[in-house]
Amino acid sequence: MNGAALPPGTRVLIVEDETIIAMTAEDMIEDLGCTVAATAGTLAQALDQVEAGGFDVAMLDINLNGELSLPVAERLRAAGTPFLFTTGYGSTGPGTAFTDAEVVRKPYRAADLAAALSRVLTPG
Amino acid sequence: MPEFRALLSGGGVMGERIRAHDWASTPFGAPTAWPQSLRSALSICLNSSAATAICWGPELRLLYNDAWSRMLGPGRPVPLGEKAIKAWADIWHVVGPQVKTVLETGAGYAAVDQLLPIQQRGHTHEAYWNYSFTPIAGEDGSVAGILHQAQETSDRVFADRRNALILALADRMRPLAHPGEILACACRLLGEALGVGRVGYGEVSPDGSTVSVARCWTDGMMADLAGNYRAEDLGKLHRALRQGEICWLEDAATDPGLSARDRATLRRLGLRSGLIAPILVEGRCRAMIFAHDGRPRGWGNHHAALLREVGERLRQELARARAEAALRESERRHRLIFEQAQDVVFTADLNQVITSANPAAAEALGIAAEALVGRSVGEFVAPDTFRRTTGMLRRKLAEGGTTRYEVEVFGKTDLLHWEISSTLTTDGDGHPLGLHAIARDVTERHAFEGRQQMLIEELNHRVKNMLAQVQGIALQSFKGKSDVAEAQAAFQERLAALAAAHDLLTRRKWEGATLTQLVADATCRLAKPDRIGFNGPDVVLPPKATVSLVLALHELATNASRHGALSTPQGRVDIGWRPAGQRLRMEWRESGGPRVAAPEGRGFGLRLIERALASDLGGAVALDFATEGLVCTIDAPLPRAGAGNVVSALL
Repeated sequence: MNGAALPPGTRVLIVEDETIIAMTAEDMIEDLGCTVAATAGTLAQALDQVEAGGFDVAMLDINLNGELSLPVAERLRAAGTPFLFTTGYGSTGPGTAFTDAEVVRKPYRAADLAAALSRVLTPG
Repeated sequence: MPEFRALLSGGGVMGERIRAHDWASTPFGAPTAWPQSLRSALSICLNSSAATAICWGPELRLLYNDAWSRMLGPGRPVPLGEKAIKAWADIWHVVGPQVKTVLETGAGYAAVDQLLPIQQRGHTHEAYWNYSFTPIAGEDGSVAGILHQAQETSDRVFADRRNALILALADRMRPLAHPGEILACACRLLGEALGVGRVGYGEVSPDGSTVSVARCWTDGMMADLAGNYRAEDLGKLHRALRQGEICWLEDAATDPGLSARDRATLRRLGLRSGLIAPILVEGRCRAMIFAHDGRPRGWGNHHAALLREVGERLRQELARARAEAALRESERRHRLIFEQAQDVVFTADLNQVITSANPAAAEALGIAAEALVGRSVGEFVAPDTFRRTTGMLRRKLAEGGTTRYEVEVFGKTDLLHWEISSTLTTDGDGHPLGLHAIARDVTERHAFEGRQQMLIEELNHRVKNMLAQVQGIALQSFKGKSDVAEAQAAFQERLAALAAAHDLLTRRKWEGATLTQLVADATCRLAKPDRIGFNGPDVVLPPKATVSLVLALHELATNASRHGALSTPQGRVDIGWRPAGQRLRMEWRESGGPRVAAPEGRGFGLRLIERALASDLGGAVALDFATEGLVCTIDAPLPRAGAGNVVSALL
């Protein structure tokens, strides 16, 4: 749907501390024909999920109830796993270490998410 | 008498008088019988342009030339052939012994700057002379007469004396800073030089109405005249002074210009003689200097000249001392401002090397003010900043004016933000000498602005997050619902619950809420509050858990109203909670409702209850669809008390 060329069955890790937003993201992912590999609400849970693996792409809320999700992003980058950030911050992004990273601003539409996921999954 | 004429030709008026004089009846005898020595000497005398006289014979009778006659002046006529002892009666006590020595020894005598006091107008006047007595040998080889030449040197002597006094005065006044000391010094020196009883100095007020006399120098006998005098009371004296005239008084007892009243006044002041000189500035009498004496005495022009000169020097020195005092006072005031300013004040040369700094600068930089002098501005700022201050300096040099800019400065402990206002200092011709700068510390303002920016960012983040939540609630509320009106109602109720949760937090200044408050608040918004009971101690929940629990209670209540205990008239709900060790156990128990069967799928409400509570309370949530009624149990760590204030909640 929405014309985004996302490979069907793409496994997505959702890192989001707000339950309602996480649930919405899950629904969007499923509506896009993808699979929710796991949902993590804290930094520790997210790191555990990265450790466990089993996903193709991750979407990371930058601020996890006061903690930044940057360590998760570093692991993913080291592993070569594509990811994007989601955030409610306006001008401040994930910081200088991730200036080139894909950032989706909240509140986002399903089409915005699909386009961003598509971009990180097919770089270049 | 052809021979006589030939012999004594020329000689001007005196030559004529001598040739016409009847000498035969005098001790000189007939000129034809005069010895050659007398004739030769007389010839030299009459033809000399210097004041010359001859004292001839045992009685030293005087013959003299035109120059000598002029030298005596019209007031002192000396008859031709007068005896020297008689002509020089007032100075004979000085010259008599000198003449006698010449006669006895046959050797000449010369005097240099010899004081010869002269009586004039009833007073003794000082006069100084260079003169010589040269013996004239008679035909028998004995001293027959004396050739006398003289020149008055009073003017030079007085001028020398005046110059010496002025120099001494200048030397003594120069180191004095206080006007009173300068006055005392000048008056004493003048009084001693003139040998008078009192010397004083009075200044005329700007409007000319008052003369203010400072403390006088006196010989100890005369009284001090210090005080203020009305100019009109000084009468004639003041009028004369105003016109720049010197006032002379040689004897108050006999001066014909004085009235009886004047005399009485002067007697009261113990003043018999005096000299008062006005001191003019641009033609106006600004001050006066006076010398008084208790005895009558004559005054010469040299006294007046001395008084005028000392007076003028005194005025200049007083002006200097007052200007310096004013400057010192002004400097003191500026120094005080400099020292006590809260703002940083410093000066620098055109190479931006500090030339002075105030205590505020020393305090901010943690270096003593003296130690800052000689250091470059570049030592206290980053290289980039120094390039910028250098650019500002160039701009001022090119365009003048003041530059205002902010710089970061390496302070004692922290990086400081200074708002600098800097101007060029110039010499009298407008050439730049250096910089004068005032800096205000705006570090706190910067920190505040930074904090404010951060709060705005955070607020933006929260609003976006809230919108995302609302978006989620909307999507979930409308998802798969065919009854739009029902979906809208559910959506609005959820939004109302979310708003109520925030109201609760706002009332509590965003410090979380107690469970009792939260449950009471949630149940009273329900349709049937009387059928909900709750019981539990006060436990404070953090903000995020508060919001989740309010939403969860809303979903439970909605579910109960539709399918559960609150859908029948008898059913009820009991909410209970209790801390157990480090854990909190909470229960929602429905009873008296319809028989319950577990639903086939979970709607948004139930999913939210399970997930949000589990996530935000960090515990486990169980939904038990027991036949007699739904039971929801929560087992979570006991929340820490005092979970933070609004700022820590925001940051």
